[in-house]
Amino acid sequence: MPYQETMSPKERVMNALTGKPVDRTPAVNPTNVATVELMDLVDAPFPYACQDGEMAARLAATGYTELGFDSVSPYFSIIQESSALGCEMQWEEKDNWPTVRMYNPIWKSADDVKIPSDILEHRDMKAITDSIRMLKDEFGDEVAVIGKTMGPWTLAYHVFGVESFLLGTVDNPEETKRALEKLKEISVLFGQAQIDAGADALTFPDHATGDLVSGAYYKEFLQDIHTEMVDVLDVPLILHICGKTVDRMPYIAKTGMASFHFDSKNDPQEAMDAVDGGITLVGNINNPETLYARGPEEVRQEVYKCLEAGVQMIGPECAIPLATKIENLMEIPLAIKDWTAERRG
Amino acid sequence: MTLISYKGPRPKDVITKYGRCLELIPTDKRFNEISVGLYVKNSVFTIWSFSTKPGVEKRIEEIRDLLVSLGGMSPISGTHNQAKFDCGLIHNRPVRFLLSQAVGKDPEYAASTAVMEIKDSKSDLLIRAEGVDRDNIRYYQISATGEARNPAMRLRMIVAGFSKYGEMDKTGDQEVAFECRSNHDGLLRILLPYSRNVSSVETMMQAESMRGQMTTSTLGFSQT
Repeated sequence: MPYQETMSPKERVMNALTGKPVDRTPAVNPTNVATVELMDLVDAPFPYACQDGEMAARLAATGYTELGFDSVSPYFSIIQESSALGCEMQWEEKDNWPTVRMYNPIWKSADDVKIPSDILEHRDMKAITDSIRMLKDEFGDEVAVIGKTMGPWTLAYHVFGVESFLLGTVDNPEETKRALEKLKEISVLFGQAQIDAGADALTFPDHATGDLVSGAYYKEFLQDIHTEMVDVLDVPLILHICGKTVDRMPYIAKTGMASFHFDSKNDPQEAMDAVDGGITLVGNINNPETLYARGPEEVRQEVYKCLEAGVQMIGPECAIPLATKIENLMEIPLAIKDWTAERRG
Repeated sequence: MTLISYKGPRPKDVITKYGRCLELIPTDKRFNEISVGLYVKNSVFTIWSFSTKPGVEKRIEEIRDLLVSLGGMSPISGTHNQAKFDCGLIHNRPVRFLLSQAVGKDPEYAASTAVMEIKDSKSDLLIRAEGVDRDNIRYYQISATGEARNPAMRLRMIVAGFSKYGEMDKTGDQEVAFECRSNHDGLLRILLPYSRNVSSVETMMQAESMRGQMTTSTLGFSQT
């Protein structure tokens, strides 16, 4: 019998996240698939699309309506909470990512961590919760709306500075744990606000990246916190960590998170073996070399490689380069459909 | 409120009509920071922007006209946004440099008709390219005059630059030709400044490609 889609995009994504059967592998974007061309299409350029709910919603919607992904994600960057906390921002222009000026951190120790009582009312927090509401109004249960709340490790880079924070993990690990405990409250606060706004799932980026810290560090500082997040935030969570992370995947698989969004530095089959069925995977189409610099054929090859390995959800490895060509992104869902048809048709 | 109310053609329609996007300039500094794409289908280039800001059509026409005046393309009649090379080839690599120049230059910029020469960036040499027609083939002879520690070596590097960025074939020690063997003096002029300094161009292109990339390095979450 020819292959036919029988599920809505949302149903497909939610089933994949919870390990239930799907009609085909979903194309999912836990981080971002906005590009400069899509910004022009809906008149929602950066940085304004990171500050205004309606612009964020319009731009995020294109991930579904134009690219054919099964999910939409209106939190494009990683700086909303840090901006609301008062970090010095570099908002950049349409073609570049807003960043935190981490060389000028706002806090020095765990004692400094204070969460403003009205943080959820900050423009850059409201932009996300407002956009989620608008996307739910627009799409209802048609497409999965994925929110995002930054984990305490990433927040710590922003508020303490990367070097200072990492040195602290060596000099005074107890102080580091205290800081993480306090910062995780922001993750919970913002995550819950997005759930209340209608988010179906949350990406939880926490950049204990392969470039900077070891798998043992992950186990010591973050595994318990991430396990706790699963209990506190009542939607499927997608952990995102960049870089080579195979060494910590067995620990990640035990957190109870629904999925791990993994980087192209990890071979799909090796990653599947590392998690050993303990968690689903989403990824890991290469951004800088494939999606940005090559063409649909190369994208298709990577999609197929992930599918052959059994990766449960396919998407870019991380937030895509803003000058990525649209046809390369459209190729991801097309390749999934073709692969499925070839095997079931 | 309706989130989906697009004024212009959708991406799928644009790709179907105009082909693949060969090059994308993320922001046009001369017109409202719009993105400008160079799409190609059946050897016809189309300048396209998804922006619907007032005046965008005129701006697209300005860019198309610069492709014609700078790069030697021929406009497609009845269009404001299309052009092609008479040779029928795409010239994939040099046309990207051409688009960058067309978007960056003043629309009133007049293409040079003077001798194709430029000062070397690494020596006191003056580099010259001269078009020579033999047997209906356009060759470009590359020469250099002036002082340099090893002029022959510099010249070899510059010729290699033409091969790299122009996708040109080396037809002699100091001679190159485009794949189509046709006259593309405009393209050669565009390539001159790039070909004289491959390492700097590579660094520049690497920096440009990193803009808008979210990596552990660009985020500051990396030791490199």
